[in-house]
Amino acid sequence: MSASEREQSTRAEFDSYEAAVERLEQIIDRLDSGQAGLRETLELCREGRDLVTYCAAELDEVGESLKELRLDELAAKLDQGRLTD
Amino acid sequence: MGEPLAAQRVTLPGPFPVGRYAKTLREELRKRARVQLIGEVTGLRRTAKQAYFELRDSEGAVPCTIWADELDRLGLPDGALRDGAEFVAAGGPDYFIGSQASSPAFSFRVTQLRPAGEGDLLARLQALRKQLRAEGLFELQGRLARPLLPKAIGVVTAESGAARRDLVAGLERRGWRGTLVWGFAPVQDRHAAPAIAAAIQDLAARPEVDVIVVTRGGGSLADLWAFCDETLCRTVAMLRVPVISAVGHERDSTLIDDVAAVACSTPTHAADAAVPLDVDAARDSLGRCAATLRRVGAGAVAARTPHLVSLARGPGRALQRERVGLNQKTREIRAASERGIAERLGLQRRVATVVLERALARAVGPDLERRRESLRRAAVALRAHEPERTLERGYALVEGDDGEPLTSAAEARAAGDVKLHFSDGQVGAKVKPPAADAGASEQDSQGS
Repeated sequence: MSASEREQSTRAEFDSYEAAVERLEQIIDRLDSGQAGLRETLELCREGRDLVTYCAAELDEVGESLKELRLDELAAKLDQGRLTD
Repeated sequence: MGEPLAAQRVTLPGPFPVGRYAKTLREELRKRARVQLIGEVTGLRRTAKQAYFELRDSEGAVPCTIWADELDRLGLPDGALRDGAEFVAAGGPDYFIGSQASSPAFSFRVTQLRPAGEGDLLARLQALRKQLRAEGLFELQGRLARPLLPKAIGVVTAESGAARRDLVAGLERRGWRGTLVWGFAPVQDRHAAPAIAAAIQDLAARPEVDVIVVTRGGGSLADLWAFCDETLCRTVAMLRVPVISAVGHERDSTLIDDVAAVACSTPTHAADAAVPLDVDAARDSLGRCAATLRRVGAGAVAARTPHLVSLARGPGRALQRERVGLNQKTREIRAASERGIAERLGLQRRVATVVLERALARAVGPDLERRRESLRRAAVALRAHEPERTLERGYALVEGDDGEPLTSAAEARAAGDVKLHFSDGQVGAKVKPPAADAGASEQDSQGS
Protein backbone atom coordinates (compact mmCIF):
# COMPACT_ATOMS: atom_id res chain seq x y z
CA MET A 1 0.00 0.00 0.00
CA SER A 2 1.45 3.32 -1.02
CA ALA A 3 1.58 6.33 1.31
CA SER A 4 -1.20 8.10 -0.60
CA GLU A 5 -3.41 5.02 -0.57
CA ARG A 6 -2.76 4.63 3.13
CA GLU A 7 -3.68 8.25 3.73
CA GLN A 8 -6.90 7.82 1.76
CA SER A 9 -7.70 4.73 3.76
CA THR A 10 -7.08 6.63 6.98
CA ARG A 11 -9.23 9.51 5.80
CA ALA A 12 -12.02 7.13 4.97
CA GLU A 13 -11.77 5.43 8.31
CA PHE A 14 -11.54 8.60 10.38
CA ASP A 15 -13.94 11.09 8.89
CA SER A 16 -13.60 13.42 11.86
CA TYR A 17 -10.76 14.93 13.80
CA GLU A 18 -12.15 13.64 17.10
CA ALA A 19 -12.29 10.03 15.86
CA ALA A 20 -8.70 10.29 14.64
CA VAL A 21 -7.49 11.80 17.91
CA GLU A 22 -9.32 9.18 19.94
CA ARG A 23 -7.62 6.41 17.96
CA LEU A 24 -4.28 8.19 18.28
CA GLU A 25 -4.67 8.34 22.06
CA GLN A 26 -5.48 4.62 22.12
CA ILE A 27 -2.32 3.95 20.14
CA ILE A 28 -0.14 6.08 22.43
CA ASP A 29 -1.64 4.38 25.52
CA ARG A 30 -0.95 0.98 24.03
CA LEU A 31 2.62 1.90 23.13
CA ASP A 32 3.20 3.45 26.56
CA SER A 33 1.97 0.26 28.22
CA GLY A 34 4.99 -1.54 26.74
CA GLN A 35 2.85 -4.61 26.12
CA ALA A 36 2.90 -4.43 22.35
CA GLY A 37 5.26 -6.77 20.57
CA LEU A 38 7.66 -5.62 17.87
CA ARG A 39 5.32 -6.25 14.95
CA GLU A 40 2.35 -4.61 16.71
CA THR A 41 4.54 -1.69 17.80
CA LEU A 42 5.70 -1.03 14.27
CA GLU A 43 2.14 -1.37 12.93
CA LEU A 44 0.84 1.04 15.59
CA CYS A 45 3.63 3.51 14.84
CA ARG A 46 2.78 3.40 11.14
CA GLU A 47 -0.94 3.90 11.83
CA GLY A 48 -0.11 6.61 14.36
CA ARG A 49 2.04 8.49 11.87
CA ASP A 50 -0.83 8.38 9.34
CA LEU A 51 -3.19 9.75 11.96
CA VAL A 52 -0.76 12.50 12.92
CA THR A 53 -0.54 13.46 9.24
CA TYR A 54 -4.33 13.50 8.96
CA CYS A 55 -4.81 15.51 12.16
CA ALA A 56 -2.08 17.97 11.19
CA ALA A 57 -3.84 18.54 7.85
CA GLU A 58 -7.13 19.10 9.70
CA LEU A 59 -5.48 21.61 12.02
CA ASP A 60 -3.84 23.34 9.08
CA GLU A 61 -7.27 23.83 7.51
CA VAL A 62 -8.27 26.06 10.44
CA GLY A 63 -4.84 27.42 11.19
CA GLU A 64 -3.90 29.54 8.22
CA SER A 65 -6.05 32.68 8.10
CA LEU A 66 -9.60 33.55 9.03
CA LYS A 67 -11.89 33.55 5.99
CA GLU A 68 -15.06 35.63 6.31
CA LEU A 69 -18.11 35.22 4.08
CA ARG A 70 -21.44 37.05 4.17
CA LEU A 71 -24.62 35.08 3.87
CA ASP A 72 -26.33 37.84 1.88
CA GLU A 73 -23.46 37.91 -0.64
CA LEU A 74 -23.51 34.13 -0.94
CA ALA A 75 -27.26 34.26 -1.54
CA ALA A 76 -26.78 36.99 -4.15
CA LYS A 77 -24.14 34.91 -5.93
CA LEU A 78 -26.47 31.95 -5.83
CA ASP A 79 -29.27 34.01 -7.36
CA GLN A 80 -26.88 35.38 -9.98
CA GLY A 81 -25.84 31.84 -10.82
CA ARG A 82 -29.42 30.83 -11.25
CA LEU A 83 -30.12 33.81 -13.51
CA THR A 84 -27.12 33.08 -15.72
CA ASP A 85 -28.17 29.43 -15.91
CA MET B 1 -74.89 23.57 0.95
CA GLY B 2 -76.99 26.13 2.91
CA GLU B 3 -80.58 25.75 3.95
CA PRO B 4 -83.25 26.69 1.40
CA LEU B 5 -84.03 30.39 1.43
CA ALA B 6 -87.63 29.80 2.44
CA ALA B 7 -86.56 27.87 5.56
CA GLN B 8 -84.20 30.68 6.68
CA ARG B 9 -86.94 33.19 6.31
CA VAL B 10 -89.05 31.17 8.66
CA THR B 11 -86.49 30.27 11.42
CA LEU B 12 -84.19 33.39 11.84
CA PRO B 13 -85.30 36.59 13.60
CA GLY B 14 -85.35 39.93 11.84
CA PRO B 15 -84.64 41.41 9.45
CA PHE B 16 -83.40 44.29 11.66
CA PRO B 17 -82.21 47.68 10.48
CA VAL B 18 -78.40 47.40 10.38
CA GLY B 19 -77.69 50.66 12.19
CA ARG B 20 -79.77 49.56 15.15
CA TYR B 21 -78.02 46.16 15.10
CA ALA B 22 -74.61 47.87 15.05
CA LYS B 23 -75.46 49.92 18.09
CA THR B 24 -76.73 46.82 19.90
CA LEU B 25 -73.52 45.02 19.05
CA ARG B 26 -71.48 47.95 20.38
CA GLU B 27 -73.41 47.87 23.64
CA GLU B 28 -72.87 44.11 23.97
CA LEU B 29 -69.14 44.44 23.45
CA ARG B 30 -68.82 47.31 25.87
CA LYS B 31 -70.41 45.13 28.55
CA ARG B 32 -67.53 42.63 28.33
CA ALA B 33 -65.05 42.58 31.18
CA ARG B 34 -62.24 45.06 31.07
CA VAL B 35 -58.80 43.30 30.89
CA GLN B 36 -55.14 43.89 30.32
CA LEU B 37 -53.47 42.61 27.17
CA ILE B 38 -49.74 42.23 26.57
CA GLY B 39 -48.10 42.14 23.19
CA GLU B 40 -45.86 43.85 20.72
CA VAL B 41 -46.94 47.19 19.28
CA THR B 42 -47.11 47.15 15.50
CA GLY B 43 -48.58 49.42 12.85
CA LEU B 44 -48.59 52.48 15.08
CA ARG B 45 -50.17 55.59 13.55
CA ARG B 46 -51.54 58.72 15.13
CA THR B 47 -54.18 61.23 14.16
CA ALA B 48 -55.24 64.37 15.94
CA LYS B 49 -57.94 62.49 17.81
CA GLN B 50 -56.65 58.98 18.26
CA ALA B 51 -53.71 56.63 18.04
CA TYR B 52 -54.08 53.30 16.28
CA PHE B 53 -51.90 50.22 16.61
CA GLU B 54 -52.05 46.46 16.90
CA LEU B 55 -50.99 44.42 19.86
CA ARG B 56 -49.57 41.22 18.49
CA ASP B 57 -47.86 38.04 19.53
CA SER B 58 -47.14 34.81 17.72
CA GLU B 59 -50.70 33.56 18.08
CA GLY B 60 -52.69 36.54 16.98
CA ALA B 61 -53.40 40.25 17.20
CA VAL B 62 -56.01 42.74 18.30
CA PRO B 63 -56.52 46.22 16.77
CA CYS B 64 -56.27 48.88 19.45
CA THR B 65 -57.26 52.55 19.68
CA ILE B 66 -56.57 55.16 22.31
CA TRP B 67 -57.82 58.73 22.44
CA ALA B 68 -55.03 61.19 21.82
CA ASP B 69 -55.71 63.19 24.96
CA GLU B 70 -55.70 60.03 27.10
CA LEU B 71 -52.43 58.99 25.55
CA ASP B 72 -50.89 62.35 26.31
CA ARG B 73 -52.06 62.19 29.90
CA LEU B 74 -50.16 58.87 30.36
CA GLY B 75 -46.89 60.79 30.08
CA LEU B 76 -44.99 58.03 28.29
CA PRO B 77 -41.37 58.90 27.45
CA ASP B 78 -40.76 60.06 23.94
CA GLY B 79 -40.42 57.16 21.56
CA ALA B 80 -41.53 54.61 24.13
CA LEU B 81 -44.63 53.76 22.17
CA ARG B 82 -43.14 52.46 18.98
CA ASP B 83 -43.36 49.51 16.70
CA GLY B 84 -41.73 46.45 18.22
CA ALA B 85 -42.14 47.63 21.79
CA GLU B 86 -43.81 45.34 24.28
CA PHE B 87 -46.76 47.06 25.94
CA VAL B 88 -49.51 46.26 28.35
CA ALA B 89 -52.86 47.77 27.32
CA ALA B 90 -55.84 47.93 29.63
CA GLY B 91 -59.37 48.39 28.25
CA GLY B 92 -62.13 46.51 26.58
CA PRO B 93 -63.65 45.72 23.22
CA ASP B 94 -65.50 48.42 21.41
CA TYR B 95 -67.19 48.82 18.11
CA PHE B 96 -67.21 51.91 15.95
CA ILE B 97 -70.45 51.85 14.05
CA GLY B 98 -69.13 53.98 11.22
CA SER B 99 -70.21 57.35 9.90
CA GLN B 100 -70.84 59.10 6.64
CA ALA B 101 -67.07 59.51 6.17
CA SER B 102 -65.60 56.42 7.82
CA SER B 103 -66.08 52.69 7.84
CA PRO B 104 -67.22 50.73 10.87
CA ALA B 105 -64.47 48.91 12.79
CA PHE B 106 -63.90 46.75 15.78
CA SER B 107 -61.14 47.78 18.20
CA PHE B 108 -59.86 47.28 21.71
CA ARG B 109 -60.44 50.62 23.34
CA VAL B 110 -57.34 51.32 25.42
CA THR B 111 -57.69 53.44 28.52
CA GLN B 112 -54.37 52.62 30.18
CA LEU B 113 -51.10 51.86 28.41
CA ARG B 114 -47.62 51.09 29.81
CA PRO B 115 -44.47 49.48 28.55
CA ALA B 116 -44.36 45.83 29.50
CA GLY B 117 -42.24 45.36 32.64
CA GLU B 118 -39.84 42.54 33.40
CA GLY B 119 -42.52 40.88 35.42
CA ASP B 120 -44.95 40.92 32.51
CA LEU B 121 -42.38 39.53 30.11
CA LEU B 122 -41.16 36.94 32.58
CA ALA B 123 -44.71 35.72 33.05
CA ARG B 124 -45.08 35.34 29.30
CA LEU B 125 -41.66 33.75 29.03
CA GLN B 126 -42.49 31.30 31.77
CA ALA B 127 -45.69 30.24 30.05
CA LEU B 128 -43.93 29.80 26.73
CA ARG B 129 -41.04 27.97 28.32
CA LYS B 130 -43.42 25.58 30.01
CA GLN B 131 -45.14 24.89 26.75
CA LEU B 132 -42.00 24.25 24.71
CA ARG B 133 -40.51 22.08 27.42
CA ALA B 134 -43.68 20.00 27.51
CA GLU B 135 -43.31 19.49 23.78
CA GLY B 136 -39.78 18.18 24.28
CA LEU B 137 -38.20 20.97 22.24
CA PHE B 138 -35.49 21.66 24.83
CA GLU B 139 -33.82 18.30 24.28
CA LEU B 140 -33.52 18.09 20.51
CA GLN B 141 -30.49 20.32 19.97
CA GLY B 142 -28.67 18.78 22.93
CA ARG B 143 -28.69 15.43 21.15
CA LEU B 144 -26.80 16.73 18.13
CA ALA B 145 -23.11 15.90 17.89
CA ARG B 146 -20.94 19.01 17.93
CA PRO B 147 -17.66 18.78 16.02
CA LEU B 148 -14.48 19.16 18.02
CA LEU B 149 -12.89 21.07 15.18
CA PRO B 150 -15.45 22.81 12.95
CA LYS B 151 -14.17 24.07 9.61
CA ALA B 152 -16.91 26.65 9.08
CA ILE B 153 -19.00 28.47 11.66
CA GLY B 154 -22.19 30.35 10.84
CA VAL B 155 -22.85 33.40 12.99
CA VAL B 156 -26.10 35.35 13.39
CA THR B 157 -25.56 38.72 15.00
CA ALA B 158 -25.81 42.45 14.40
CA GLU B 159 -23.33 43.65 11.83
CA SER B 160 -22.13 46.52 13.98
CA GLY B 161 -22.39 44.91 17.39
CA ALA B 162 -19.59 44.38 19.89
CA ALA B 163 -20.65 40.73 20.03
CA ARG B 164 -19.25 40.22 16.55
CA ARG B 165 -15.85 41.58 17.55
CA ASP B 166 -15.78 39.59 20.80
CA LEU B 167 -16.63 36.37 19.02
CA VAL B 168 -13.82 36.81 16.47
CA ALA B 169 -11.38 37.63 19.26
CA GLY B 170 -12.46 34.51 21.15
CA LEU B 171 -11.96 32.32 18.09
CA GLU B 172 -8.53 33.84 17.47
CA ARG B 173 -7.57 33.04 21.05
CA ARG B 174 -8.45 29.39 20.37
CA GLY B 175 -6.04 29.51 17.47
CA TRP B 176 -9.01 28.90 15.15
CA ARG B 177 -8.76 30.54 11.74
CA GLY B 178 -11.32 28.69 9.64
CA THR B 179 -14.27 30.07 7.72
CA LEU B 180 -16.87 32.37 9.27
CA VAL B 181 -20.18 32.81 7.44
CA TRP B 182 -21.90 35.92 8.73
CA GLY B 183 -25.68 36.02 8.78
CA PHE B 184 -26.23 39.61 9.85
CA ALA B 185 -29.68 40.41 11.24
CA PRO B 186 -31.36 43.02 13.41
CA VAL B 187 -31.36 41.85 16.99
CA GLN B 188 -33.85 44.16 18.71
CA ASP B 189 -36.89 45.30 16.82
CA ARG B 190 -40.06 43.62 15.68
CA HIS B 191 -38.27 42.44 12.54
CA ALA B 192 -35.52 40.79 14.54
CA ALA B 193 -37.04 37.39 15.33
CA PRO B 194 -38.13 36.55 11.75
CA ALA B 195 -34.82 37.83 10.34
CA ILE B 196 -32.81 35.83 12.87
CA ALA B 197 -34.85 32.70 12.15
CA ALA B 198 -34.34 33.17 8.39
CA ALA B 199 -30.59 33.67 8.79
CA ILE B 200 -30.31 30.56 10.96
CA GLN B 201 -32.20 28.52 8.40
CA ASP B 202 -30.07 29.84 5.53
CA LEU B 203 -26.86 29.05 7.41
CA ALA B 204 -28.07 25.58 8.30
CA ALA B 205 -28.80 24.98 4.62
CA ARG B 206 -25.14 25.54 3.72
CA PRO B 207 -23.36 22.16 3.80
CA GLU B 208 -20.02 23.56 4.93
CA VAL B 209 -21.45 25.12 8.09
CA ASP B 210 -20.74 22.79 11.03
CA VAL B 211 -22.18 24.89 13.85
CA ILE B 212 -24.15 28.12 14.22
CA VAL B 213 -23.63 30.83 16.83
CA VAL B 214 -26.43 33.28 17.63
CA THR B 215 -25.21 36.19 19.66
CA ARG B 216 -25.86 39.74 20.78
CA GLY B 217 -24.81 41.90 23.70
CA GLY B 218 -26.68 42.46 26.92
CA GLY B 219 -29.87 44.45 27.46
CA SER B 220 -33.17 44.39 29.23
CA LEU B 221 -35.46 41.45 28.74
CA ALA B 222 -37.54 43.68 26.48
CA ASP B 223 -34.43 44.35 24.39
CA LEU B 224 -33.75 40.64 24.18
CA TRP B 225 -37.35 39.75 23.61
CA ALA B 226 -36.79 38.77 19.98
CA PHE B 227 -34.78 35.82 21.25
CA CYS B 228 -37.84 34.63 23.15
CA ASP B 229 -39.91 34.52 20.01
CA GLU B 230 -41.80 31.29 19.83
CA THR B 231 -41.38 30.79 16.09
CA LEU B 232 -37.65 31.48 16.26
CA CYS B 233 -37.24 29.07 19.16
CA ARG B 234 -39.20 26.34 17.42
CA THR B 235 -37.03 26.85 14.33
CA VAL B 236 -33.85 26.47 16.36
CA ALA B 237 -35.16 23.42 18.20
CA MET B 238 -35.94 21.57 14.98
CA LEU B 239 -32.64 22.42 13.27
CA ARG B 240 -30.22 19.60 12.45
CA VAL B 241 -27.18 21.84 12.88
CA PRO B 242 -26.13 22.59 16.47
CA VAL B 243 -26.86 26.16 17.59
CA ILE B 244 -24.88 27.93 20.29
CA SER B 245 -26.64 30.89 21.84
CA ALA B 246 -24.89 33.77 23.55
CA VAL B 247 -27.58 36.36 24.06
CA GLY B 248 -27.28 39.05 26.71
CA HIS B 249 -25.23 38.53 29.81
CA GLU B 250 -25.03 35.88 32.45
CA ARG B 251 -28.15 37.07 34.29
CA ASP B 252 -30.24 37.15 31.11
CA SER B 253 -32.07 34.03 30.19
CA THR B 254 -33.91 33.97 26.90
CA LEU B 255 -35.94 31.18 25.43
CA ILE B 256 -33.40 30.52 22.69
CA ASP B 257 -30.95 29.53 25.46
CA ASP B 258 -33.34 26.75 26.41
CA VAL B 259 -33.69 25.29 22.95
CA ALA B 260 -30.09 25.75 21.77
CA ALA B 261 -27.50 22.97 21.99
CA VAL B 262 -25.36 25.16 24.26
CA ALA B 263 -26.20 28.43 26.03
CA CYS B 264 -23.30 30.74 26.76
CA SER B 265 -23.16 33.95 28.76
CA THR B 266 -20.88 35.89 26.40
CA PRO B 267 -19.68 35.79 22.79
CA THR B 268 -16.22 34.81 24.07
CA HIS B 269 -17.67 31.76 25.77
CA ALA B 270 -19.59 31.02 22.60
CA ALA B 271 -16.27 30.93 20.73
CA ASP B 272 -14.98 28.33 23.18
CA ALA B 273 -18.15 26.28 22.79
CA ALA B 274 -18.11 26.52 18.99
CA VAL B 275 -14.51 25.30 18.84
CA PRO B 276 -14.12 22.92 21.79
CA LEU B 277 -10.57 22.20 20.68
CA ASP B 278 -7.83 24.66 21.58
CA VAL B 279 -6.17 24.53 18.18
CA ASP B 280 -2.76 25.80 19.33
CA ALA B 281 -2.71 23.36 22.25
CA ALA B 282 -3.86 20.57 19.94
CA ARG B 283 -0.99 21.35 17.58
CA ASP B 284 1.48 21.09 20.47
CA SER B 285 -0.13 17.87 21.65
CA LEU B 286 0.03 16.43 18.14
CA GLY B 287 3.71 17.32 17.97
CA ARG B 288 4.28 15.39 21.19
CA CYS B 289 2.35 12.43 19.79
CA ALA B 290 4.49 12.49 16.67
CA ALA B 291 7.66 12.62 18.79
CA THR B 292 6.43 9.71 20.91
CA LEU B 293 5.72 7.68 17.79
CA ARG B 294 9.16 8.45 16.38
CA ARG B 295 10.83 7.56 19.68
CA VAL B 296 8.84 4.36 20.19
CA GLY B 297 9.22 3.38 16.53
CA ALA B 298 12.98 3.81 16.60
CA GLY B 299 13.30 2.39 20.11
CA ALA B 300 11.23 -0.66 19.25
CA VAL B 301 14.08 -1.89 17.07
CA ALA B 302 16.97 -0.35 19.01
CA ALA B 303 15.81 -1.78 22.35
CA ARG B 304 15.66 -5.22 20.87
CA THR B 305 18.94 -4.93 18.98
CA PRO B 306 21.27 -6.23 21.75
CA HIS B 307 19.05 -9.23 22.27
CA LEU B 308 18.75 -9.75 18.54
CA VAL B 309 22.49 -9.42 18.15
CA SER B 310 22.95 -11.93 20.94
CA LEU B 311 20.49 -14.25 19.29
CA ALA B 312 22.16 -13.68 15.96
CA ARG B 313 25.54 -14.62 17.45
CA GLY B 314 24.15 -17.82 18.95
CA PRO B 315 24.03 -19.78 15.73
CA GLY B 316 27.48 -18.46 14.83
CA ARG B 317 28.92 -19.72 18.09
CA ALA B 318 27.17 -23.04 17.71
CA LEU B 319 28.48 -23.29 14.16
CA GLN B 320 32.00 -22.49 15.35
CA ARG B 321 31.80 -25.23 17.96
CA GLU B 322 30.53 -27.63 15.36
CA ARG B 323 33.25 -26.51 12.97
CA VAL B 324 35.98 -27.17 15.54
CA GLY B 325 34.48 -30.58 16.28
CA LEU B 326 34.23 -31.35 12.63
CA ASN B 327 37.84 -30.32 12.02
CA GLN B 328 38.98 -32.58 14.83
CA LYS B 329 37.00 -35.44 13.44
CA THR B 330 38.31 -34.69 9.98
CA ARG B 331 41.86 -34.88 11.26
CA GLU B 332 41.12 -38.12 13.07
CA ILE B 333 39.46 -39.55 10.00
CA ARG B 334 42.37 -38.44 7.83
CA ALA B 335 44.87 -40.01 10.18
CA ALA B 336 42.84 -43.19 10.37
CA SER B 337 42.46 -43.13 6.67
CA GLU B 338 46.18 -42.68 6.14
CA ARG B 339 46.85 -45.59 8.46
CA GLY B 340 44.34 -47.68 6.60
CA ILE B 341 45.87 -46.69 3.30
CA ALA B 342 49.35 -47.54 4.57
CA GLU B 343 48.14 -50.90 5.78
CA ARG B 344 46.41 -51.48 2.55
CA LEU B 345 49.53 -50.39 0.69
CA GLY B 346 51.68 -52.82 2.73
CA LEU B 347 49.28 -55.62 2.01
CA GLN B 348 49.17 -54.61 -1.58
CA ARG B 349 52.93 -54.52 -1.70
CA ARG B 350 53.17 -57.96 -0.15
CA VAL B 351 50.61 -59.29 -2.52
CA ALA B 352 52.42 -57.62 -5.38
CA THR B 353 55.73 -59.15 -4.30
CA VAL B 354 54.27 -62.61 -4.22
CA VAL B 355 52.61 -62.00 -7.52
CA LEU B 356 55.79 -60.62 -8.97
CA GLU B 357 57.84 -63.46 -7.59
CA ARG B 358 55.40 -65.87 -9.04
CA ALA B 359 55.34 -64.02 -12.27
CA LEU B 360 59.13 -63.91 -12.20
CA ALA B 361 59.31 -67.60 -11.45
CA ARG B 362 57.03 -68.18 -14.34
CA ALA B 363 59.03 -65.87 -16.51
CA VAL B 364 62.45 -67.33 -15.57
CA GLY B 365 61.39 -71.03 -15.44
CA PRO B 366 63.72 -72.40 -18.23
CA ASP B 367 66.94 -70.92 -16.75
CA LEU B 368 66.29 -72.02 -13.22
CA GLU B 369 68.07 -75.32 -13.32
CA ARG B 370 71.12 -73.77 -14.83
CA ARG B 371 71.16 -71.07 -12.19
CA ARG B 372 70.85 -73.68 -9.44
CA GLU B 373 73.79 -75.63 -10.74
CA SER B 374 75.86 -72.51 -10.88
CA LEU B 375 74.86 -71.70 -7.36
CA ARG B 376 75.84 -75.11 -6.19
CA ARG B 377 79.24 -74.73 -7.68
CA ALA B 378 79.73 -71.43 -6.11
CA ALA B 379 78.80 -72.92 -2.78
CA VAL B 380 81.39 -75.62 -3.16
CA ALA B 381 84.04 -73.03 -4.02
CA LEU B 382 83.00 -70.91 -1.10
CA ARG B 383 83.07 -73.87 1.23
CA ALA B 384 86.70 -74.66 0.15
CA HIS B 385 87.68 -71.30 1.58
CA GLU B 386 85.96 -71.66 4.93
CA PRO B 387 88.38 -71.71 8.02
CA GLU B 388 86.87 -74.99 9.21
CA ARG B 389 88.27 -76.61 6.10
CA THR B 390 91.76 -75.39 7.02
CA LEU B 391 91.40 -76.60 10.63
CA GLU B 392 90.43 -80.02 9.29
CA ARG B 393 93.77 -80.06 7.64
CA GLY B 394 95.63 -79.70 11.06
CA TYR B 395 95.72 -76.02 11.57
CA ALA B 396 94.48 -74.15 14.72
CA LEU B 397 92.81 -70.73 15.06
CA VAL B 398 94.05 -68.56 17.95
CA GLU B 399 91.52 -66.15 19.50
CA GLY B 400 91.75 -63.74 22.34
CA ASP B 401 89.30 -63.66 25.28
CA ASP B 402 87.16 -61.29 23.32
CA GLY B 403 86.75 -63.84 20.50
CA GLU B 404 88.86 -61.82 18.04
CA PRO B 405 91.37 -63.89 16.00
CA LEU B 406 95.03 -63.30 17.01
CA THR B 407 97.14 -63.36 13.93
CA SER B 408 100.64 -62.60 15.34
CA ALA B 409 102.92 -63.72 18.18
CA ALA B 410 102.92 -60.25 19.53
CA GLU B 411 99.09 -60.22 19.77
CA ALA B 412 99.30 -63.64 21.48
CA ARG B 413 101.79 -62.38 24.00
CA ALA B 414 99.83 -59.30 24.61
CA ALA B 415 96.66 -61.29 25.14
CA GLY B 416 98.22 -63.71 27.58
CA ASP B 417 95.24 -66.07 27.76
CA VAL B 418 94.13 -67.36 24.40
CA LYS B 419 91.71 -69.89 22.90
CA LEU B 420 92.93 -72.45 20.37
CA HIS B 421 90.26 -73.64 17.91
CA PHE B 422 90.84 -77.06 16.42
CA SER B 423 88.59 -78.81 13.94
CA ASP B 424 87.19 -80.97 16.71
CA GLY B 425 86.98 -78.38 19.52
CA GLN B 426 88.79 -75.63 21.41
CA VAL B 427 91.20 -75.43 24.34
CA GLY B 428 92.42 -72.55 26.50
CA ALA B 429 96.16 -71.74 26.60
CA LYS B 430 98.39 -69.28 28.43
CA VAL B 431 101.25 -67.71 26.44
CA LYS B 432 104.66 -68.03 28.11
CA PRO B 433 107.69 -65.70 27.81
CA PRO B 434 110.02 -66.43 24.79
CA ALA B 435 112.75 -68.31 26.84
CA ALA B 436 110.46 -71.04 27.71
CA ASP B 437 108.68 -71.06 24.43
CA ALA B 438 110.25 -74.42 23.30
CA GLY B 439 108.09 -76.76 25.28
CA ALA B 440 106.98 -75.02 28.32
CA SER B 441 103.53 -73.94 27.31
CA GLU B 442 100.96 -74.88 29.79
CA GLN B 443 97.87 -76.21 28.27
CA ASP B 444 94.50 -76.51 29.75
CA SER B 445 92.46 -78.96 27.87
CA GLN B 446 88.95 -77.65 27.40
CA GLY B 447 86.18 -79.63 25.67
CA SER B 448 84.36 -77.88 22.83
